[in-house]
Amino acid sequence: MHSEPQVGGALARADAVAKRLVRLEVNGAGYELAIEPRRSLLEVLRADLGLTGTKEVCLLGACGACTVLVAGRPVLACLTLAVACEGKPIVTIEGVADGHALHPLQRAFVEKGAVQCGFCTPGMILAGKALLDRNPHPTAAEAAEAISGNLCRCTGYAQIVEAIVSAPSLAADTPGQPLPGTLDSGPYLMPELGE
Amino acid sequence: MQALPAFRYFAPTSVDEALGLLAELGGEAMPAAGGTDLVPSMRQGLFAPKSVISLQAVDALRRIGWDDGAGLEIGALATLREVAADAEVRRRFPFVARAAHAVGSPQLREMGTVGGNLCLDTRCTFYNQSQGWRDTRGACVKTGGEFCKASPNGRARKCFAVFSADLATALVAADARVTLRSARGTRTLALAEFYTGDGAKPNARAPDELVTGVSIPARMQDVFGTYLKYRVRQSIDYPIAGVALTLRADAARRVGDEVRLVVGGVTSRPLVVGAVAELLRGRSLDDALIEQAAALARKAATPLANTAGDRAHRREMVHEMTRRALREALNHAQ
Repeated sequence: MHSEPQVGGALARADAVAKRLVRLEVNGAGYELAIEPRRSLLEVLRADLGLTGTKEVCLLGACGACTVLVAGRPVLACLTLAVACEGKPIVTIEGVADGHALHPLQRAFVEKGAVQCGFCTPGMILAGKALLDRNPHPTAAEAAEAISGNLCRCTGYAQIVEAIVSAPSLAADTPGQPLPGTLDSGPYLMPELGE
Repeated sequence: MQALPAFRYFAPTSVDEALGLLAELGGEAMPAAGGTDLVPSMRQGLFAPKSVISLQAVDALRRIGWDDGAGLEIGALATLREVAADAEVRRRFPFVARAAHAVGSPQLREMGTVGGNLCLDTRCTFYNQSQGWRDTRGACVKTGGEFCKASPNGRARKCFAVFSADLATALVAADARVTLRSARGTRTLALAEFYTGDGAKPNARAPDELVTGVSIPARMQDVFGTYLKYRVRQSIDYPIAGVALTLRADAARRVGDEVRLVVGGVTSRPLVVGAVAELLRGRSLDDALIEQAAALARKAATPLANTAGDRAHRREMVHEMTRRALREALNHAQ
């Protein structure tokens, strides 16, 4: 009798392929992991590294929710084998802000109301960041093209495009400062209920 | 999360090393480039290779280069984004850049490669489904069963899954040649001949062979070309139908020998519509002739009900896109 295979779990099928020791660099930190070749980067980010900001949706490359940057390129973590990422720096949504100071693109998303339910947002931010890294002053058409592989079911595309186009102007003022709305300051906290 | 079936993983860094692995592992191994076609299919249980040979570190196959004699040479590992952005491709074969850009989404073009596009598996609404979905209906021809589920009476013994690669369709119109290498040697064949027309086994690659590159002859650089794609949304989707045209006409709009119309997304291969070329050759391009040619393309495109869009609509769109492609050619000649 075989035990049921468990991905990443302690029980392994008798014929399971040996794990490989892989060094990944995620958001500037190095990790050494023993992983099966069949595991996607998405699984490893979420299950092994606890980086659940990268979202799992279609698992077929058709929604963009799991977009991350690998060696600076926007790719789909659900279709990327983790073992193939050895030696290539990976950036996830957790690595976009500088501590509590949001990236200008994140600030632009807040200011333009580009976040609705929020589930597509990490993928949108990474797709937008990949564009801004290559083209610091994109047009609205270029921004729309850059997020054309990312689905938003709240259909807030107009605000997302606006946010990407306006991000460069935010980059110009005081980078690295904490923003209103981050955990350090309070304008977005719920006010106390009065009597 | 639906896990992929287990496999052994190899990451060769040279072509010879990759060919050695393919020779040794043969039919049990599958080469993988960007993984954008293979990984979803593995997740759905359509493929369970014992070994995956990742080609991502074979940098020698990434090159895109122009040579006045050899023409445009594109390495199999060049990504679709690189082809769409390449200055030589855009200058000499803008329709090839356009076809590469028409594939999938920015992320898929960032990952997907030319070799992967040429070797794209055929697709069908009865095939590209989860294991559970397919289990309720039993196997089709492509998954080892006896009959095609998409055929009108369900009794066809042939697979009609659709070949949907935008770039490959445009490259066939560009009279491209594909190079395959194995430990046994190298062969080069016309890309049109690379496709079998059999949905279950769409191309002629042997299990130990690797597609290493594709080339467009230099003489094609001053031939007009275009690629039109019709799909549900303007991004992500495979074509409901695609039409590629190359055509050389003189100042009097008389069509020369260099004319090819290729239809993608409706049959199991990039469909070269010879009847259109025969009709146009030596004739002067005008609206009446364009209408005749478009009707011939429609007649040749015979889809089954196996992708998005019903059969009549797909044929109507082949007609319309052929008309538009030829009008573009006419405007170009004037």
